[in-house]
Amino acid sequence: MAKGRELKGRIKSIEGTRKITRSMEMVATSKLKRAQDRVVAARPYARALEAVIADLYSPELAERFPLLRQPESGAQGDMPKSGGRAAVLLLTSNQGLAGAFNANLIREARNLLARLAAGGVETELHIVGRKGIGFFRYIGAKIASSRTDIGDKPAAAHGSELVDGLMNAFIEKKLDALYIVYAKYNSPLSTPPVAERVLPVTPPERKGAARDYLLFPNAEEILTALLPLYVRNAVYRALVETVAGEQGARRTAMKAATDNAGDILNVLRRTYNRARQAQITQEIAEIVGGAEALSG
Amino acid sequence: MLKVSVISPEKVLYEGEASSVVAPAFDGEVGILTGHAPMITALGRGTLRVDGGAGNQRFIVEGGFLQVVDDQVRVVTEQAKAG
Repeated sequence: MAKGRELKGRIKSIEGTRKITRSMEMVATSKLKRAQDRVVAARPYARALEAVIADLYSPELAERFPLLRQPESGAQGDMPKSGGRAAVLLLTSNQGLAGAFNANLIREARNLLARLAAGGVETELHIVGRKGIGFFRYIGAKIASSRTDIGDKPAAAHGSELVDGLMNAFIEKKLDALYIVYAKYNSPLSTPPVAERVLPVTPPERKGAARDYLLFPNAEEILTALLPLYVRNAVYRALVETVAGEQGARRTAMKAATDNAGDILNVLRRTYNRARQAQITQEIAEIVGGAEALSG
Repeated sequence: MLKVSVISPEKVLYEGEASSVVAPAFDGEVGILTGHAPMITALGRGTLRVDGGAGNQRFIVEGGFLQVVDDQVRVVTEQAKAG
């Protein structure tokens, strides 16, 4: 029964694979829970910051803030004008086995880079996560900076480490724009890659009626202090959303893998049992045939 | 009573009621009681005191701002820890 033994081997091996994918699914589920909590916990800060900046912002003030320096006229859409320089910060994960998660992010980044290049804008690429670094190194792209040490518990400090240097370059006019490519976390099943322009800052819109605040020292100084916080927070939020998206994508991918392993096992078991049954039937037929030959 | 929340980028550190808040503004301490006019002030570095309500809370803060509106006090700061 050579075929039977072979089938048995395959069944064993797929059972092993299913055990692995199932435990990875469970690990991703518990990490997803924690990453999701972090996304939710980051919201009040972002909201409070947005509300106050929207309250204080006025177009007359805008010209005085380097971080609000809008692209010069002649630029199309939100892109810097031809001859300008933009930085793209791409967030990917360190580990794979998350379906098309990283591939989607990389594709979004390449589209953005191509769009910028088509507009005559020079680009520099900053990457977080082994998957993105590996890909762009493979195609031989120039990588301005890369980090792999952020992992699945990003802290607010990571956001500032990533963006502070770029923010200074922007203030010194060495950069005309900063884009960030990350996975937006809508739900565990919806984590679309998005490219967002972080610099120059797009002032948030005011919700509700304006209040007359006493301002200390004054609107200008408060904005000067808050705009960098706003930019850092945008990066921090992108980091936590990407981590949550990664775990969501991994859970989905591993669930699909576990289900597929189950389907294959069903087919293999059926084939195995059929082969075993056929062999038994054949053996019985042989015995009966033998006995009949003897008695006949 | 004032409604107070202390918010850092990573989480809400404190949310609750208080009878008074003393915060380290950029140029010295500022005290808030109920009925305060709407105000936004930049913060410096020091100890934030939230008194009354659920015990007296202390936080060490640096930078950010404090917003008061309709007896709601929001302290939003990048660096904050319970102290």
